[in-house]
Amino acid sequence: MKSALKTVIASMALLAAAASAQNITSERLLNTEAEPGNWLLYHGDYNGQRHSDLTQITPENVGELELQWIWQQRSAAGASQKFEATPLYVDGVLYTVGAPNDVVALDARTGRVFWTWSYTPDTEARVCCGRVNRGLAIHGDTLFMGAIDGHLMALDAASGRLKWDISIGDPSLGYALTVAPLIIDDKIIVGPAGGEYGIRGFIAAYDVETGNELWRFNTIPGPGEPGFETWADPEQEAWKIGGGSVWTTGTYDPELNLMYWGIGNPGPDWNGDSRPGDNLYTESVVALDPDTGKLAWHYQYTTHDEMDYDSTQVQVLADIEFNGQPRKVLMTANRNGVFYVLDRTDGEFLLAEPFVAVNWVDGWDANGRPNMVRAPSPEGTFIMPNNQGATNWYSPSFSPVTGLFYVPSWLDTYSVYTKSPDGVQYIPGQNYVGLYPTMAMPALSVRPVNQRLPEEGIGAIQAIDPQTGNIVWRHEMANVTDSGVLSTASNLVFAGGREGYFYALNAATGEELWRVMLGGAIANGPMSFEMDGKQYIAVAGGSGLFVYALPDE
Amino acid sequence: MRLQSLSKPLLLLAATAIFSGAGHAQEHSYTPSDIEAGRGLYQANCLGCHGNTGSEVEGANLASGRFRRASSDEELIALVRTGIPGTLMIPRPQLSYGDLRSIVAFLRTMQTNGGVAGNDERDVAIGNPGRGEELFFGKAGCSECHGVGGGGSRLYADLASIGGQRSPAALEDAMLDPQKDVRIGQRFYQVTDNNGTVTQGLLLNQDTHSVQLLNTDEKLQSFLKQDLSEFKFIPTPMPSVLDVLSATEVADLVAYMISLKGE
Repeated sequence: MKSALKTVIASMALLAAAASAQNITSERLLNTEAEPGNWLLYHGDYNGQRHSDLTQITPENVGELELQWIWQQRSAAGASQKFEATPLYVDGVLYTVGAPNDVVALDARTGRVFWTWSYTPDTEARVCCGRVNRGLAIHGDTLFMGAIDGHLMALDAASGRLKWDISIGDPSLGYALTVAPLIIDDKIIVGPAGGEYGIRGFIAAYDVETGNELWRFNTIPGPGEPGFETWADPEQEAWKIGGGSVWTTGTYDPELNLMYWGIGNPGPDWNGDSRPGDNLYTESVVALDPDTGKLAWHYQYTTHDEMDYDSTQVQVLADIEFNGQPRKVLMTANRNGVFYVLDRTDGEFLLAEPFVAVNWVDGWDANGRPNMVRAPSPEGTFIMPNNQGATNWYSPSFSPVTGLFYVPSWLDTYSVYTKSPDGVQYIPGQNYVGLYPTMAMPALSVRPVNQRLPEEGIGAIQAIDPQTGNIVWRHEMANVTDSGVLSTASNLVFAGGREGYFYALNAATGEELWRVMLGGAIANGPMSFEMDGKQYIAVAGGSGLFVYALPDE
Repeated sequence: MRLQSLSKPLLLLAATAIFSGAGHAQEHSYTPSDIEAGRGLYQANCLGCHGNTGSEVEGANLASGRFRRASSDEELIALVRTGIPGTLMIPRPQLSYGDLRSIVAFLRTMQTNGGVAGNDERDVAIGNPGRGEELFFGKAGCSECHGVGGGGSRLYADLASIGGQRSPAALEDAMLDPQKDVRIGQRFYQVTDNNGTVTQGLLLNQDTHSVQLLNTDEKLQSFLKQDLSEFKFIPTPMPSVLDVLSATEVADLVAYMISLKGE
């Protein structure tokens, strides 16, 4: 009798779980803090903090973490197909993407597969830096994925069946999707990668039910649009192929009803002679109204960029005291090596402070315009940080508990930037870049051997005090890192690096509390979820997804 | 000390030695301007993935002189033009045959020129290879460490193919100033454990927490950095021949080196 009752209750619980899995409403997405056990958005929350409120795993017990299961992708992830996706966790199911576009629904209890759905991208697809995908979005009972051939797809979350499939840009011209989509209300919002192919970038909203385009914000303004004057070539051709790509998910402040997207480099990357002017909105954060796509404000981190310092890094939102005043701030650690704090209501420039060795800028005016002192040259210019940047798409984290901003960093890197006085010819579908800079640190290669000298660059997880931009602590690694960071309310920071080590650090001090070797480079953001009262940590290393929890008592 | 340059005919000989260094698969001869044009095209099209030295894509080390999907120049030209579906290597139909030929010319020199950054084609003196061989196995002491198709120590490069991998100037440099450009894979490392025991060896690998060496007893040995009081790169043990050999003898050794083509 007792066991029969248990079965009934268990069935009801399962039904409840199944019912809720079908119903990720806009309200649930707006109130993720009410269900810290789920991970419903790429960043966990709209604010991009990648901070989990789960507290079962603590600095005291983190050393007891045990492997629960591993899921191995079908194909080994090579240098061009890194496992970059952050999983979603929804009521017992982990949804993630193996490179390039293989979707899987996993039983979070066992790692067994509920279903898989593989998409074969158009052979015309061209991506500069990896056939990768950073993750999914979910709304209602539908998952959304962008593919490297510029297709945006809706999948039924229960069956993995395709609901609709649209193309947002011509893959043979370089339009690609690597970004995890952002869902706001009934809109799915993405922008294309392709800044190395002379695309004209945009951010666009699509109807979650139909895929119909609802609005489009051109990241490269055309004639009649504000900012067009910053593309000042006499022929007025440069803007048509000006770049301004998008490949990291935006953040959203529901109260201000503004979302914040970092915009990529202008094209051609390393030779700006054909595009005189500041080249808005490349290298900028744009604050957009998600209902209309209208621009509220922008701030440009790198003006007239010739170093490919894409500003697509996560624009992290927090409400903090700044200079003694409560402020709604936006914080970002930029690929250009500088940590910034802005007021996100109007874009007011509050702070800029390098977080690695930087030599391209020697200060900012009151409005935050950088005084740039280095540029590529025919004879070659030594510029720090290197072309892959001080950080990149790897997600940072902000902990409201410690008040610290955690950023995966490449320290002491440099490139030699060369440009030809002959300029760069645009050929549709071909690299529209100039001359690739040289660098001692491999930008994309994650091979398991490191014989480099320390002065050729090392990696670190750094904790930055947003009040000052000062480095509070630094956890150094002998190799660089493409890993994101997760912080938790119990004062932990989780992150890893190319070596394959995955660490738990004390969020206040950086002290190493636990580590494990995953045997492959970590190139994604770790996340946390709770199931049946147990907190889990999930992270991808190499081609595998590894899930940890404390042992059962 | 500066070594005397050679007369013109011998210089041409040296240049030929470089440009034909890549082995049997190459059908064409290339001019320095072909190679120079290829360098620029490489930097605009290839460097982003393949890197400065051509060695960054695993399984496709362009500096090895061997190509997984092509061996002849024409096959290489076709490969660059059509790309490889399912990888980052896109088709490049816009490149002319001449462009593609220049890229291949540059690829064929990557073994010897060190990639995009280093292209040490200075003219250096090249002497008598027979006398160089005698020096190598005798007075110069090279064979105490380096093998030629066997022999020598596991810690040091076997030089059986060195003539196809380095320019004469780079070879001369390596003998006169061995510390100047110690290439990756040939760097030496020293660790000191907490008891003060010092171990040196060739660095095979390292990470944040450990070091893997081929120690001076030619044994594989690993260390945890937590057990070490010090760990660091050290200068290569290779001595300079500057005060040991005459300029003529150095030229003889260079001549012997460039004769070593692994054949």
